[in-house]
Amino acid sequence: MEQLLTANVATNLYWLGRYLERIGSTFILVMKAYDSVIDIDKDEGVALYKKFGIDLKYTNSQSFLNNAILGEHSANIYNLTLMARENAIICRSHIDTEAFGEIMDLNAILERASKNKIDITHQCIDSSDSIIREIWGTLSRRKNRQSSDYFFRLGKVVEELDFHLRFDSDKELVKVVVKNIDSIIKKLLCKNEADVEAYQSLNAEKEDIMAEIDKRIGQIIVG
Amino acid sequence: MLEKSTESHEKFWEIFSKQDRKKIDEFKKYMDKFAINFNLYKDGNFIERSLPFDVVPRIISKEDFSKIEKGLVQRVTALNMFLEDLYTDEKIINDGVVPREFVLQAKGYLEKFKGFSPSQKIRTHINGIDLVKDSANDEWVILEDNLRVPSGSSYPLSIRDTYRKIYPDFFESMKIKPIKQYPKYIADAMNYVNCGGINIVLSPGRFNAAYYEHSYLADKIGAELVRAHELKVVDKKLYFKNYDGRLIKVGAVYRRLDDDFLDPSFFNPDSLIGVPGLVEAYLSGNVAIMNGIGNGVADDKGIYYFVPKMIKYYLGEEPILQNAPTYLPYFKEDMDYIFNNMEKLVIKDVAEAGGYGVLFGHAMTATKIADLKLIIKADPRRFIAQELVEFYDEKCYIDGKLQDRKADFRAYVVMGKDVKVWECGLTRYALEAGNYLVNSSQGGGFKDTWIME
Repeated sequence: MEQLLTANVATNLYWLGRYLERIGSTFILVMKAYDSVIDIDKDEGVALYKKFGIDLKYTNSQSFLNNAILGEHSANIYNLTLMARENAIICRSHIDTEAFGEIMDLNAILERASKNKIDITHQCIDSSDSIIREIWGTLSRRKNRQSSDYFFRLGKVVEELDFHLRFDSDKELVKVVVKNIDSIIKKLLCKNEADVEAYQSLNAEKEDIMAEIDKRIGQIIVG
Repeated sequence: MLEKSTESHEKFWEIFSKQDRKKIDEFKKYMDKFAINFNLYKDGNFIERSLPFDVVPRIISKEDFSKIEKGLVQRVTALNMFLEDLYTDEKIINDGVVPREFVLQAKGYLEKFKGFSPSQKIRTHINGIDLVKDSANDEWVILEDNLRVPSGSSYPLSIRDTYRKIYPDFFESMKIKPIKQYPKYIADAMNYVNCGGINIVLSPGRFNAAYYEHSYLADKIGAELVRAHELKVVDKKLYFKNYDGRLIKVGAVYRRLDDDFLDPSFFNPDSLIGVPGLVEAYLSGNVAIMNGIGNGVADDKGIYYFVPKMIKYYLGEEPILQNAPTYLPYFKEDMDYIFNNMEKLVIKDVAEAGGYGVLFGHAMTATKIADLKLIIKADPRRFIAQELVEFYDEKCYIDGKLQDRKADFRAYVVMGKDVKVWECGLTRYALEAGNYLVNSSQGGGFKDTWIME
């Protein structure tokens, strides 16, 4: 796994993973809420965005989609794709060419919608979601994984954990994700297990778990 | 005026007539999808844009390329010898072939590097030599030597891959030389001068016009792409800072920034994109920098005038490729000629690049010519004048129609153990009819260049 990487590239790969996972997970939750907002529970979208700390306003299911995806708030998906695009450009020589192209495409789809004020449709979300799946697919198909792949994946699983904690997922599920993070960190640190697994106590508060993980990542990227 | 059509041209048009033209759009989509950009700053704003691409390639015959290849190997060899001599023994100056005063006044001449000889005595590692084919005598003519940080090779490299997939018929039916070997030429050249350690590409960063190229070439040559703050000099040795805190020694730097910005402790102290101590590491022989520091003197437009003399002086050979007829107002006789023929000449400011500082006499008013004469008289070293070379147009497929545009050709010459001329290059064309300026920074587009086997 010996591969040289600058701290800047490692950080950008990590955040690329986080943003892509954040976008993908948000799509899933938005589509679930959208289904409910149509004719089951109009306030489902409000409740969802409360979890993100956002007071989302909408009048019907279409405006829910538009405001959820492109509204002026910190979870604006177009802005997230812009950040992912920046991360990808900075570390492009360390990611799969096809995956890089897919990230540019994802940004282009949402840029068109945002700049032309086009209504967000479920097809738009579906095709964007497929792109994200394709990006992760290209990563899983790589045979010889290197540090760059692990940083990218680490970002993904840390974001997964963030979502699980935010949405009070089952403790066992959280445990699986933390274990996954552990194993990636272990690969990146190449240190002994005991040292890495020290923070595995899941009795800790949610914030403490994330803080501990951030601390560990700070130990990996020291350059 | 177009170059005489060859068998390869005929073959191209025959195949082209059978192709689906709608597929041309796929080139632009591909360039957007993979962010193959040449960025610009306009009115203080950073603009990401892809270079305009034309589907009609420039086709260069085997015979023409063979002459270009021999001529460029000869030229770059002589230029490298000139630089090595200039910074060490100064024989060419002492023998009066190039006037001392003229060299010392060159902006790119760095006296502080006098006496230093770099790894393997190579200074001109990666060179972009601009040529045009003169319609008056059907000969290739050298317009400019770029021996500092020539850019552009990644665009034809990237587009060729796509071209083969979009229109495979051309590559199946025509004998076009493959081009993928270029990154290997660079990697071999880097390894040849490497002073022990890894190879890196030093980029000013994400917002540089050619960042795509830096990233692309780093990937293809297997070097690490870094910015200045990701490097550190310790005990006159250059180190790469790995993410885990380890310092890895660097043996060769393919730098993509000018001398002035390379090391704030040596050159411009305000440079935020340079590495403090890098020059000291270089002068201590602990790291190779390509292209060499101080090369600016040899691609000075005034020094260009002397290149044919250098070839004769160092190699004892006649130049295979000619310069465009050039006059130096620095010499009284040339100044008189220039002043009597301003209307038909092209005047160039030696300190400018990228198509800037180029004035066409035929397009200037009498008042402007009179003003320019005064400026030239006050500072003759700053200018050169050239006969306007009526170079061939190339057919371009613009807005669904075939149109003629001026086009030049940048050949890439890599010097390592051997001197290699890449079997492709960057053909740049002017977007407007009749415009002679084809530079990318002037809004010019590019074509693929097919060298026939």
